[in-house]
Amino acid sequence: MRVLKLALLAGLSALAIGWGVAASTPYWFAPKQDRKVDIADPELIARGEYLARAGDCVACHTAPGGAPYAGGLGLQTPLGTIYATNITPDPETGIGSYDYGDFERAVRKGLRPDGVHLYPAMPFASYKVVSDADTEAMYAYFMSAVKPVAKQNQPTTIPWPASLRWPLAWWQLLFAQPRDFEAPQSDDPLVARGAYLVEGLAHCGACHTPRGLAYEEKALKEDGSGRFLSGSVLEGWYAKNLRNEDTGLVTWTEEELVTFLRTGRNKRTAAFGSMSDVVEHSLQYLGDDDLTAIARYLKSLPPRPGREQWRPKEDVTTAALRGGDFSAPGAMTYIEHCTACHRLDGKGAPEVYPALAGNSMVFADDPSSLIQVTLAGGRMPSTPGHSMAFTMPGFAHLSNADLAELMTFIRNGWGNHASAVTEADIARMRKEIAHKPVHYAPEAAQ
Amino acid sequence: MRKSFLIAGVALIAMAGSAAGWVATRAVPDAPPAASFAVLDAEKNEVGRYVVPADKDIFAQPNADEIIYGKRLLADTARLLPDNVGAAMNCNSCHLLDGKIDAANGYINTVNFYPRVMPRAGKEVDLETRINGCFQRSMNGRPLDREGREMKAMIAYMEWLRQGVAKEHRVDIVNAGPVDESLIPDPDNGKAIYAQKCAACHGVNGEGMRDQFGDIIFPPLWGDESFNIGAGLARTYKAAQFVKWAMPPAMHLDGQLGQGGVLTDQEAVDVSEYFTHMPRPDFAPKVNDWPNGNKPKDARY
Ligand code: HEC
Ligand code: HEC
Ligand code: HEC
Ligand code: HEC
Ligand code: HEC
Repeated sequence: MRVLKLALLAGLSALAIGWGVAASTPYWFAPKQDRKVDIADPELIARGEYLARAGDCVACHTAPGGAPYAGGLGLQTPLGTIYATNITPDPETGIGSYDYGDFERAVRKGLRPDGVHLYPAMPFASYKVVSDADTEAMYAYFMSAVKPVAKQNQPTTIPWPASLRWPLAWWQLLFAQPRDFEAPQSDDPLVARGAYLVEGLAHCGACHTPRGLAYEEKALKEDGSGRFLSGSVLEGWYAKNLRNEDTGLVTWTEEELVTFLRTGRNKRTAAFGSMSDVVEHSLQYLGDDDLTAIARYLKSLPPRPGREQWRPKEDVTTAALRGGDFSAPGAMTYIEHCTACHRLDGKGAPEVYPALAGNSMVFADDPSSLIQVTLAGGRMPSTPGHSMAFTMPGFAHLSNADLAELMTFIRNGWGNHASAVTEADIARMRKEIAHKPVHYAPEAAQ
Repeated sequence: MRKSFLIAGVALIAMAGSAAGWVATRAVPDAPPAASFAVLDAEKNEVGRYVVPADKDIFAQPNADEIIYGKRLLADTARLLPDNVGAAMNCNSCHLLDGKIDAANGYINTVNFYPRVMPRAGKEVDLETRINGCFQRSMNGRPLDREGREMKAMIAYMEWLRQGVAKEHRVDIVNAGPVDESLIPDPDNGKAIYAQKCAACHGVNGEGMRDQFGDIIFPPLWGDESFNIGAGLARTYKAAQFVKWAMPPAMHLDGQLGQGGVLTDQEAVDVSEYFTHMPRPDFAPKVNDWPNGNKPKDARY
């Protein structure tokens, strides 16, 4: 009995201390900055707009069909839905009453003016390295150039007690320590600029870096472990490995990368899934210098040992298919449903239909994207660089057995080589697609 | 002691059994049942269902090699039959996806349609003649030997595609979807639409696009390598039917090619008027067409 009482007491005091520490972080861990920003400076506003594009704030803080930055997009977590908030300068429902310190603390430190901690669904762990000057510019832009919209924020659907926010302070203490941007060792100033964007505003790691059990990114920057940007699965899309290694980007040239980031396509590949949105809402607006910086930085990420190169095997597929030999498992299904666009040589049509031959998304370590895009189809982003954006139809009407054979064929055709895809993989993805989260606030859904 | 072991054993087996049962009854998600079309008799009563067969079923046919050869000839005509093809065109350029798609010049009913009387010829034509018509007009080429291996293979493919639907019955699909033929075409608007919605694939000058081997990816829409003036597609409204329902591909998340349904009738008529009236090869035997009159209003000669 005594022991139980003691244990209870200990538990309660631990909880109290835990809460106390959490409640105090606004004062020592994430103190508020005191600084004046000239929000009327047109130059600052223009730069802020560009940076907000780079940060892709609009992607999360806008509901489909809704007013820009008025919030409402739901981000799914296993515990419930978190809605991005209204960040228009409306004083009642938005951030109109925020001074610079409030804004800075929310964006870089994940803390609301009322001391409430934000969920890491808001990528403050990445924004942490954004410079003061850039944060000021964004503040000026949001305060002066974004149209205020009166729209109440949507509460999360996370049930009590998981909805208590103070434990988030501990998450922040553990996984979002204050840090400044450290430029990587390089003589090329573009590499440093690229690192700054990739780690910070562009938050590529939020999707492309694997996450741990606590939803933390396993690396927030290149740290020699090879984990940064090494590929991660979200909502059944595999945001592929972006390191300069075999199944990553070693087969890409800098130029191909820049073209892809600006237009969502290049001669070999095309964006789909959430990457299509990233290009459409963010990357297409960046200058060539910044896109080149991003590309050069990614190409500078060292390969992990043994993964320096990717060599295709000999292509026997093109000759077989052109010669009418469709006997390989999966070949006839490919001929029937895919050749009209991706062609006998697996090269597609430049800038219209992506190639499957030599395309690193096809032979990626994880076939999720390949399976999902084939089942559900995909849309390229539309950008001013191209008069038309194309859509790949979905093939969910093919059986699991046919699709597994087909995927395995593609992953090992035309010189590609990668693991086989099984019927169970296809069935799992069907389930995932059927239970896809709906990214709408309830009122925006109708 | 013994007894409790027994009970535990029975309980364990029961649990394992029900777990296995639960797993087995949970359906593994797979493809929905195949879509099918009604098979109609002469009075339009439904007498059965038709499912578009999968190409891999061909392997089970006694004449699989012949069918596959026919299928390849239809898809890769210019490469495999250079002596008979004058245009940079395959049969699949207009008969999309080996003639398996509704409203894109399918072959599903073709074998059952022939022989029949055609107004353009003014007499009864059989399937071989019809195919050779497309060789001479749409492909701007030379007819195939009616008894040759190539002709037989193409027809063997179409015969397989029919899936045994009786001669007097029809699968409920159309060769081409409807377009309002009373619309007056505006070729200037057609030119603008061409630039926005077609040129990305068919080329700024209608020249199409070829792959590394010189094979056709996107067929030309005009010029020396296009279909000649005697082709059905040289007629504005016939072309508009195709353009409206089958072009452009890769527009939607559904449909075998994500094709069609982007342009309004007016836009389809405008763009068709524009590209069909661009320069293209002549067709000398045109003088023999429509011997009994009844020339359609969009005929080119
Ligand atoms: C990946 C999605 C995502 C992106 C990108 C994103 N945000 Fe957020 N943001 C959120 C979510 C979700 C919340 C709410 C978190 C919560 O309720 O705990 C939020 C909260 C905020 C808040 C706090 C608002 C309040 O109510 O006090 C501010 C300010 C903010 N974001 C600004 C920005 C800016 C500026 C950018 C671009 C540089 C940005 N966000 C980009 C998802 C995102
Ligand atoms: C919102 C999540 C998200 C963010 C943020 C994101 N990506 Fe992606 N990315 C994806 C997904 C999902 C894919 C896989 C789909 C695809 O290949 O188009 C992908 C694919 C890619 C590809 C490979 C394309 C291919 O077809 O092989 C590249 C390159 C890429 N991303 C670069 C970047 C860069 C650089 C950034 C940061 C500027 C970034 N991504 C930010 C989700 C994201
Ligand atoms: C109507 C033309 C068409 C057909 C038929 C088609 N695709 Fe695609 N495919 C596309 C287009 C367009 C894209 C680009 C989609 C995007 O970027 O969102 C694409 C993208 C892809 C990709 C992603 C490649 C990349 O790097 O972006 C894969 C993999 C793929 N298709 C596989 C297949 C398979 C397998 C089949 C046959 C079952 C098939 N496709 C049939 C047009 C087609
Ligand atoms: C430039 C477009 C084009 C090309 C290329 C083309 N065709 Fe046609 N074909 C048509 C049109 C249009 C029709 C008429 C359909 C109608 O009557 O509605 C047609 C009709 C046919 C028919 C009769 C179909 C029926 O059910 O009545 C057959 C058979 C045929 N074509 C075979 C071929 C073959 C074989 C080739 C290749 C050698 C070929 N076509 C190339 C456009 C083309
Ligand atoms: C995404 C690429 C794409 C776009 C955009 C596109 N087409 Fe096509 N078109 C094709 C392909 C591919 C074929 C041949 C079909 C095949 O080989 O599977 C074709 C065939 C044709 C044909 C019959 C063959 C020929 O060359 O005469 C016509 C007519 C045609 N297209 C007209 C149009 C028109 C008009 C537009 C614009 C409204 C258009 N297309 C837009 C890809 C495209």
